[in-house]
Amino acid sequence: MIRAAMTPLFAACALLAANMLPAHAGRVVADLSQSNVSITSGFHGTELLLFGAVDGQDTDDIIVVINGPPTDIAQHRKAKVAGIWINVETHIWKGAPALYQILATRPIAEIADAQVLEQFEIGADKLQLQVQPARPNPAGDMPQASALLPSLTRNMAATGLWPSEIGPVKLTQGALFRATVQLPANVTSGVYDVRILQFRNGVAFSENKTNIYIQKGGLSAIIYNFAHDYSLLYGLFAVAFAVAAGWLAAAAFRRN
Amino acid sequence: MYIYLPIAEISMHIGIIFGLGGGVGFLSGLFGVGGGFLMTPLLIFFGVPPAVAVATEANQIVASSVSGVLAHMRRGNVDFKMGGILLIGGVIGSSLGVMLFKYLRDVGQIDLVIKLSYVVFLGIIGGLMLLESVRSILRSRRPGAPRRKLHQHNWLHGLPLKMRFRRSKLYISAILPLAIGAFVGLLAAIMGVGGGFIMVPAMIYLLGMPTSVVVGTSLFQIIFVTANVTLLQSVQTQTVDFMLAGLLLFGAVIGAQFGTRAGALLRGEQLRGLLALMVLAVCLKLGFELAIRPDDLFSVELLK
Repeated sequence: MIRAAMTPLFAACALLAANMLPAHAGRVVADLSQSNVSITSGFHGTELLLFGAVDGQDTDDIIVVINGPPTDIAQHRKAKVAGIWINVETHIWKGAPALYQILATRPIAEIADAQVLEQFEIGADKLQLQVQPARPNPAGDMPQASALLPSLTRNMAATGLWPSEIGPVKLTQGALFRATVQLPANVTSGVYDVRILQFRNGVAFSENKTNIYIQKGGLSAIIYNFAHDYSLLYGLFAVAFAVAAGWLAAAAFRRN
Repeated sequence: MYIYLPIAEISMHIGIIFGLGGGVGFLSGLFGVGGGFLMTPLLIFFGVPPAVAVATEANQIVASSVSGVLAHMRRGNVDFKMGGILLIGGVIGSSLGVMLFKYLRDVGQIDLVIKLSYVVFLGIIGGLMLLESVRSILRSRRPGAPRRKLHQHNWLHGLPLKMRFRRSKLYISAILPLAIGAFVGLLAAIMGVGGGFIMVPAMIYLLGMPTSVVVGTSLFQIIFVTANVTLLQSVQTQTVDFMLAGLLLFGAVIGAQFGTRAGALLRGEQLRGLLALMVLAVCLKLGFELAIRPDDLFSVELLK
């Protein structure tokens, strides 16, 4: 009873504190079937199971936001110059998520209104990102992030890294939830945040966070590290391998 | 079965990699060309980043040139002195090419320059080859037509630093092969090719080398130019994908053997005519990509 009475108070706190939910939230407990993913030679994307318990009601909603490591993304714009289409303008998005995915129990617009979604940066179109010209222009014009964001989300959706579809979350009896996190084959290594938000009556009610750690493994890691840490030796090795392979091939087929 | 390419950072079906290696290898064996001008655009088409495609293809061409040059060496068809001068130029040109490549990548224009180079040089070479083979097919039907002189003397033969090239039966200035080597090296580094398709006509028409030593000598210098590109790209941009190069190589070696056998069934002019058509097809495909309005004017690229 007391808990029910306190609900509006939580809601008010949530609104006031914007992105920060009260410290005593802790109403969502979540875990992943696997929090360390290794990109080995056979890697072609993978699925993780996100599951947990929530102290809630049947009518509650869950939104999961998977947010990749901050990356700089170059965005080129083409225009026709002398009869051919060339890149005429480049903008750099600073620290944009390399992966951005949303999973939810219902379409997010039905769960909360746009203002609330914006507050919590839920939806690729709600991301608050910094954009700047690749090269400072003489006039010192700064680009409008809001004008460029729709094309960024469209391009990133096409790469599969910011899927525009919202994946399902299954909430059972307002207490147990489960969802599948799809990691695409072109995912990069890094630390990924997984935010689980509980919504009630359009208000963010509690939040929990977990992480996915992705790194190269096996032969992939050996080759990648070799190429970056001992690049001269790597180059020499690549050349030596090619010379040996070419010589072997010539020798093998000469006998036939 | 998919295989993750650690430097390209994409996952590719093993069948596509072997298919590309085998298919391009077959054509290179059939026509006696390196095949870089086919492989690099195909790799880019299948999603390999252009920088990785160019650097990795250089690494693969090292292997196919070594395997090709050995056969020519046994028949004494390599002019090492001429090859040496060409490769000095080639190493200088390709070093500049790798620097230029890095600069163009930084300013976001590398895709454009790669495509433009392909359109221009494949267009010129393909067009000339097609003309030449049509002419020689016509000539073979009209026996008794006058033959051209082996080579003509012009102002190029008045340049200083004259050297004697015994195998090529030439006494010419070293500046010319140096300059040709440098120019082809520069293109090879930017286009991800060995450059044989430009080097061979340049050797015949500009230097006046006898055709018997042209292919062997071209292959000999390509080894060093592509090895130089592989090394420089490894050090400066870390874009050589050893896994991809190794798998392509495997398919290419086998494909080339079948191609060589198939090539014996066709006549020289027919082969050159077919090669010219293929070169022009790649040129037109890339030309259309530049000329037709893209579906989306915006594109993205994840930076490190």
